Amino acid sequence: MSIDFYWRLPTHGCHGSLRHSAYDRGDWSPLDPHNIAPGLDRHGADDGYRYVDHLAEIAKAAESVGFIGGLLPSFPGTDDPWVISSLLARETRSFRFMIAFQPGFLNPVHAARMAASLQRATGGRTVFNIITGGGGPSQLWWGDSFSHDDRYGRTTEFLDVFKGVWQGEGFAYDGRFYQVVDGGLSPLLAAEELPEIWFSGSSDAALQSAAKHADYYLSWLEPFDQLTDKFARVKERTAALGGQQKCAVRVDLVARATEEEAWRDVRIGFENLSEERRGQARGGATDSVGAARQQALRPSEAKRYDDLIVAPNLWGGFSLLRGGPALGIVGSYEQCAARLDELIARGADAFILAGTPHLEEAYRVGEEVLPLLGRSADVLLQAAE
Amino acid sequence: MTIQVYWQIDAAADPGRSEPGARQNPPTRFRDVRTNAANRYDYYAQIAQAAAQTAFDGVFLRYRAESDDSRTVAAVIARETPRLTLVSEFPAWVGSAVYAAKQAVSFQRLTHERLGWAIAASVDAPSRARDGDHVPEDQLAARTEEFLHVARGVHGTRPFSHAGAHFQVQGGGFEAPLNRVAFPLVFLQGESEEALALSGRSADVHLFAAAPVATLRGLVETLDSLALREGRSVAFGVIQPVLAREFSDEAWQDAQRARLPASAIVGNYADVAERLAALAALGVTHFVLTAPSSLEEAYAIGQHVLPRFRALTESIRAAA
Repeated sequence: MSIDFYWRLPTHGCHGSLRHSAYDRGDWSPLDPHNIAPGLDRHGADDGYRYVDHLAEIAKAAESVGFIGGLLPSFPGTDDPWVISSLLARETRSFRFMIAFQPGFLNPVHAARMAASLQRATGGRTVFNIITGGGGPSQLWWGDSFSHDDRYGRTTEFLDVFKGVWQGEGFAYDGRFYQVVDGGLSPLLAAEELPEIWFSGSSDAALQSAAKHADYYLSWLEPFDQLTDKFARVKERTAALGGQQKCAVRVDLVARATEEEAWRDVRIGFENLSEERRGQARGGATDSVGAARQQALRPSEAKRYDDLIVAPNLWGGFSLLRGGPALGIVGSYEQCAARLDELIARGADAFILAGTPHLEEAYRVGEEVLPLLGRSADVLLQAAE
Repeated sequence: MTIQVYWQIDAAADPGRSEPGARQNPPTRFRDVRTNAANRYDYYAQIAQAAAQTAFDGVFLRYRAESDDSRTVAAVIARETPRLTLVSEFPAWVGSAVYAAKQAVSFQRLTHERLGWAIAASVDAPSRARDGDHVPEDQLAARTEEFLHVARGVHGTRPFSHAGAHFQVQGGGFEAPLNRVAFPLVFLQGESEEALALSGRSADVHLFAAAPVATLRGLVETLDSLALREGRSVAFGVIQPVLAREFSDEAWQDAQRARLPASAIVGNYADVAERLAALAALGVTHFVLTAPSSLEEAYAIGQHVLPRFRALTESIRAAA
């Protein structure tokens, strides 16, 4: 069985090193001499490069090294995934753009039209990561005042309409949130393939919606036994609801030639943390179940980096070093490959991998880790001794 | 303000061009080596390149429900045309005003502020029901106004809150660096009293449909006084079909073959330039020029009419 490996396109700038928390790629940090995209030219002025120029480098790196595509996250402080994907459509060939997207963002008919247009521009390389929303103040920031369970109801209806108009003309829908009369995409647009739908969300409301519409169920990395149970439950629950769910996991890697070098980078990154950065990692209010599961780890309270080693090659402090999930994999190339193989054995059908800095690590993971997959875990771990 | 001239890209026009699915099948006697890697966006990019190389200031991408989405097309071709302004037309019912603003800001950040927003004229209720939009007819102008108020609000103000009939935001507003770029220039359209009043309150540029000079003069004066009453000023634009040839008789002959509206300006290069300059003399500063065959006509207009037009408007400005 072949497994889809995605990389991540960081839409909120990128750190030049895991050891330092400055976003020195992109304009989220002040324009100073070691910053790039934008950077300073020889006369000390803005050199005219924009962050999308760096994202183009990452996408092309991931594409050339064999990743099927990349996830583009969407938060209040990020640049927009739709816009980035469209800007990069004609500079990439096989790279799939996984656009993180909340149903509240767009009218579903118009969303279908935009998606079909992007499919036409890219030869069918659009993938959707539907985010129903973490809730709380951040939803109101987006102008979305629906409650948690209502939001999943709306997500289901959104996808009913999104897929319905794709069947062509004469589509009607009378839902709680959306009503369409005699709608449908034009034959030109409807001829495109529907984008694959990736779904997140751990609550029951989320799983019901996933069973109906999702191709992949995406989880952050959790301790392996917990994740195994979760995948089994998702597959079982969605099967009972008539869905057929593949499972995917989002994992950050620190892969180095030796395990010692990998932990050294993690240790230095941890020791360089500012109090401000730890404070940010404590996070804000959210009613997301997935986020709550991760926060049980409390990495911001740790005194030493190795307090956060929760299992061999599994470190729970990634959220301190950059935004996103706490857990990730740290180890030699062989160990990283063995852990990914283990996740495949436990039910993972696809991955979104990431490493910092995203450009250089795309090459490293693509060249050093992915080729080792599929060899037996024992052989790999012995080789790592 | 300097005059801006945009060339129209209509995604629904010449639908067979560069469309893999529209190729002749079976082929004629030529050996066809084209692959499906070539697609319709090559053609959009080519029109934009034509406009750039013939010194247009930008392109105007029409909203066409049956064809490619205008904002998607603008972004897809943006990096191949690093100098052009890209004005995308779309209706105010595309979704969240906050998200529309977020996308606009990213576009501005990543393309050196080259986006323009043109809100499409409203359409009848059955057409909107097909798109899942059920706002009553008499609230459409108010919805457009609120859409723009919220989009500009989250861009320019933090924290921004709004509780309106169509949009609600709490504690919103973009942080640095997203708020460092300019909001796109907003183009509104329409000739009705309500449309003009809305533009007086909310438009940066009002685009009139092509019309005789006397009609446009009346509309320009009305809008000017409406805007003044709001303490604002609105720039004037016109969407003008054109057809120009070396000799007038050739232009008129080709005009018979093309589907041109009565309001089109048809003539030799110098005549067309003069007619456009007459509009500039009314105070029109944004010209959206359109022609049925967008790629070829971009060269005819860009190479032969625009230099003459610009020379004429320079002399108007010098005289003023």
